[in-house]
Amino acid sequence: MGLVDIVKKGTFVDILRGMSVTGTYFVVDKVTVEYPKEKLHPYPRFRGVQALLTDPETGDTKCVACMLCATICPSRCISIVGEQTPDGRSHPAGFDLDLSRCVFCGFCEEVCPEAAIVMTRQYELATFDKNDLYLDKERLLANQVYAHKELFAHPGERGAPAPAAAGAAPGTQEGRRP
Amino acid sequence: MDAGHDLPTPDAAAGATHRPTQEELRERKARTRRHLERTGEVMTLSMGPQHPSTHGVYRAVLDLDGEVVLAVRPEIGNLHRGVEKLCEYRTYHQIIPLTDRLDYISGFAMNHGFCEAAEKLMGVEVPDRGRYIRTIAHELCRLANHILWLGTHVMDLGTQTFFCICFRDREYVLDLFEMLTGARLTHSFCRIGGVAKDLPDGFDQRCRKVIDFLPKRVAEYERIIKHNRIYYKRAKNVGIFTAEDCYAWRVTGPTLRSAGVARDLRKDEPYAAYPEVEFEVAVEYNADVYDRFLVRMKEIRESCKIIRQCLDNLPDGPFLAPDAGHSLPVKKNVLRDPAAMIQDFYQVFRGPQAPKGEVYRGIEAPKGEMGFYIRSEGGSKPARVHFATPSFYHGQAVPALVEGEMVADVVAIFASVDLVLGDCDR
Repeated sequence: MGLVDIVKKGTFVDILRGMSVTGTYFVVDKVTVEYPKEKLHPYPRFRGVQALLTDPETGDTKCVACMLCATICPSRCISIVGEQTPDGRSHPAGFDLDLSRCVFCGFCEEVCPEAAIVMTRQYELATFDKNDLYLDKERLLANQVYAHKELFAHPGERGAPAPAAAGAAPGTQEGRRP
Repeated sequence: MDAGHDLPTPDAAAGATHRPTQEELRERKARTRRHLERTGEVMTLSMGPQHPSTHGVYRAVLDLDGEVVLAVRPEIGNLHRGVEKLCEYRTYHQIIPLTDRLDYISGFAMNHGFCEAAEKLMGVEVPDRGRYIRTIAHELCRLANHILWLGTHVMDLGTQTFFCICFRDREYVLDLFEMLTGARLTHSFCRIGGVAKDLPDGFDQRCRKVIDFLPKRVAEYERIIKHNRIYYKRAKNVGIFTAEDCYAWRVTGPTLRSAGVARDLRKDEPYAAYPEVEFEVAVEYNADVYDRFLVRMKEIRESCKIIRQCLDNLPDGPFLAPDAGHSLPVKKNVLRDPAAMIQDFYQVFRGPQAPKGEVYRGIEAPKGEMGFYIRSEGGSKPARVHFATPSFYHGQAVPALVEGEMVADVVAIFASVDLVLGDCDR
């Protein structure tokens, strides 16, 4: 054993070097969140569960039962029954969406010419009851509480502001914290 | 000083462990075959489909003589979903969400390749901004794929912490994907004629931070793994697959490049914005597991370079081709412009009208060459779609790779060629 090794062992150089790596993580921001207690905000484009929006003027849904979303849907999970309202407006009598088939591709939102169906940021969809995954018109309308407000003002592109976060270091997820 | 603390340099250790020549490898395999015929004392071991280091539901039936693998019979198809048949009943737009379930680790590459093939069939020109955004997203998915590969590969060799380190860093890339496309794995972001959405506000700064930061992380991976004695001994000169073997088994991607062949479709048959960016093809020459690791680390660095150049030179203009016959309109136009709304209805109810003909388009997916074949009889739906997925060819080469090796090296070799069973079975 050389002199260098004796000095190294006497001064715990290797142990200090190892512990300095461990100790760094006491001071840097942690990358994990304790999920049920604190939750991350998904970005504005996040494709969560769908919602049907209400037109504030008429109080009815914006949907005009044009069948575009039901036609483009690659997994065919949307079924719509259209009808005419007494004032001659087209309107869905039934709007059913089967979440157990949905692949969350976002095509329904993208093709909707009235911006009536939107993908919200709600992602907590786990359930014990399969019937919860079958969304009818009332439940889709009720989902609009999850829709971000920016969508009402500027539907579609560039409407929603960036999630701040531009200044946050990539080592943290500060910007996504609520 | 204790010799155990020396870091092995590649040159010193290459002298220490003899690298078998082509003739010796051939002789070794022939010897094991002869042995198999002669002796009846073979132990059969079933590995998979639930084995964690088969990276999916791959089953390999190994015939062992002691510790040496004599023969391997791979079984695939446990994840078969009939994607190619499903494609025949969907319009070209509707196929896009199906493609990102092929190789779900690098979903955007699959979207991109299919759209390139469909554009070649229909003769659609992609605007410059669309091409650059595609390139950025494609390279981001290469980053995510290689980092995940490294974590799982090294975990197969027995470390647990390193897996968590890699997953932590992959999270930054997935975060960018969530910001850009709205989903973390199944992006469905490419469209025929461009991409679905423009870059969001704040994406540029955030992406630059990640690509400045990842090369530092790669240096840290190399500090932990590259000169790690255990990793070195288990990876160096293990699973040698030379260029001749790669050609014979149609093995591509990092495995082929680690055998000294600078084959990269981004250079050889350029697409998207690759002709306009500068990057090097990562090549190594030893053709073993260790060199596949080195190639992938180089590719992460090159991908960061490509993304930086694309962000610097990002042109203005439309990101989706204004091609009323073949592409969906931009959403904000649909709400304002009657012509765009007519295009929207036309594209949904009639679909993109493709001419008769057949096309093949290969792209350099993170795992290797990904080929898309479309035969069209006209109309909005393809008559036949075939995906020539890299994982399928890599999976069939597994017997050639592991026969004659030790049973403990099977997982190392298996992981090094990078399989995903969603891609293989489709």
